[in-house]
Amino acid sequence: MRRIVMWLMGTIAAVALLFSYRTSTSGPIGGPGLVAAAPRIVSTGAGSTDAGGSAGSAGSAGSAGSAGSADSAPLADAVVNGGVARTRWGPVQVQVQIASRRIVDVRVLQQPNGNRTDAEINSYALPQLREQVLQAQSANVDGVSGATVTSDGYRQSLQSALDTAHFRG
Amino acid sequence: MADRPLATGRGWGLSDRPQWSRRLLAILGGASLAVVLGLWAGNHGLTDLASPGSAATSLGRVTGLVAADLLLIQVILMARVPLIELSWGRDQLTRWHRLVGLTSFNLMLAHILLITVGYASAAEAGLISEAWDLVVNYPGMLLATAATVALIGVVVTSFRAIRPKFRYESWHLLHLYAYLGVGLAIPHELWTGTDFVSSPAATAYWWSVYALAAGCIVVFRLGLPVYRSTRHRLRVRAVVREAPGVYSVHLSGRRLDRLPVRSGQFCHWRFLSGPGWSRAHPYSLSAAPHPDRLRITVKALGDDSALVRRLRPGTRVLFEGPYGTLTGAQRQRTRVTMIASGIGITPLRALLESLPYPPGAATLVYRARADADFAFRAELDALAAQRGIRLHYLAGRRAGPLRWAPHGHGSDVALLRRLVPDLARHDVYVCGPDTWMDAVLDTARRLGVPEAQLHSERFAW
Repeated sequence: MRRIVMWLMGTIAAVALLFSYRTSTSGPIGGPGLVAAAPRIVSTGAGSTDAGGSAGSAGSAGSAGSAGSADSAPLADAVVNGGVARTRWGPVQVQVQIASRRIVDVRVLQQPNGNRTDAEINSYALPQLREQVLQAQSANVDGVSGATVTSDGYRQSLQSALDTAHFRG
Repeated sequence: MADRPLATGRGWGLSDRPQWSRRLLAILGGASLAVVLGLWAGNHGLTDLASPGSAATSLGRVTGLVAADLLLIQVILMARVPLIELSWGRDQLTRWHRLVGLTSFNLMLAHILLITVGYASAAEAGLISEAWDLVVNYPGMLLATAATVALIGVVVTSFRAIRPKFRYESWHLLHLYAYLGVGLAIPHELWTGTDFVSSPAATAYWWSVYALAAGCIVVFRLGLPVYRSTRHRLRVRAVVREAPGVYSVHLSGRRLDRLPVRSGQFCHWRFLSGPGWSRAHPYSLSAAPHPDRLRITVKALGDDSALVRRLRPGTRVLFEGPYGTLTGAQRQRTRVTMIASGIGITPLRALLESLPYPPGAATLVYRARADADFAFRAELDALAAQRGIRLHYLAGRRAGPLRWAPHGHGSDVALLRRLVPDLARHDVYVCGPDTWMDAVLDTARRLGVPEAQLHSERFAW
């Protein structure tokens, strides 16, 4: 019985020590799915929301009607920075440009650049991702195989930007 | 087939051999693995597998996920959930425990290796330095490393070559570190792995399985035993010597008709008589249960078993159980033959008392090392006279290591055929040491007894 108590105390002490280590209570740092910095609207076009009756919104007024409130009305023209998606290989942040309620450009503000592999991966993956987004007109794209982590971060950051613009594709 | 003691008439009823529950549980287990694979595939598992850069990491993910799922299935299988216990019986569950546990462990080792290789190649780092980086810098990974150490300890102390070096009780305490391993692995699954939180479905699935496993442990391994021990208030009434080294413990208690225990089953007992209480011992009932009393019979083998004979009347008794499937629920035929060796008589003695059968339809073959070693001889003779049981006492050492019959009775097959000529039409209940039971079951099969009519449960740990 005394030995059992000794074992128990020893085990509890060991577990307590383990939990005092920084990574044991840090929460996620590497997992995509967490956007570290808040997305931010950089600029909006004049009369930018559909509620204001933008010229470029012909034929799709229905989506403005479904928006519910002025706060969540889609931005017709805007440049929005996505949040920073922290991936296993480093932060990914994109900036999306919306014109006439279409995604017309995606620029990468931050990308993993810890080593040469990252640079290689970025050089072929990021242009592909941009093309996919412009085609799909959403963040819901396949991603680039071999660059899954970066693709995830890219989607994450882009989605946060689109959400901020209340973009509905 | 009803199996109710004549004394009470109600309260002992359990469902018949639950074929449906086996199927249901097997489907659930299979479905859980399918869900895990589906979630992995949905989180780019298959596409990553196709590309050389991420194949190792993707394989590492799926091995880790399946290992975690099997580990939780494992916890649930051993949580003493009544439905699971009754569906397969303890010895079958113990075999699976070994198989599922080792599979999960091997997958975990593969997971560690593959993830290290995958991350190392992506970061263009060496294996060792990447492993170090993973352990030291990735969230929750030091805890996961400790979990790995705990699980390695559990598996290594369970190797057949190593386990006998430990006392059962010490080994069992070490085995509890598996729970620590399961728990310490969670943070890295959430923070470093991406599959647990990849989608709401994945998050819901994994937390449900963890909650289910934890719930099963809390309810069935802790709550139910505490509730039953409190409710039935068992105390030692008397200790009676039955044979050299064999003692019966008579227990008194309350409302035992509300305890779903039946002849042939066992419980894990703790006698609150002193230092040994921290260790529970599996002993079978040796008489049909009654609303106010139970009887168990113990062979004083280990250190603690020897303490049984010094138990004082009035000692409080805690128990976990009842467990075991060697009961009347397994009956297929009207005729029944019980074959016991040594202390294996205990559950069969209880079954002979409570099973229904017409006079002349039951046979007991009871083997012991010497004439003096037969326990319950007077009881058995009285029961035989009352219910028309044919009794065969076989005294003597086993004729060989693969034999069950004692010397001087001819071959095993010839002996059993002579004792029970129509054995193929009997239910055959067997209880005794492992190798002895193997020999009996082999003989019974040779005499044409179908598998469904063979009933045995192993109690060796």
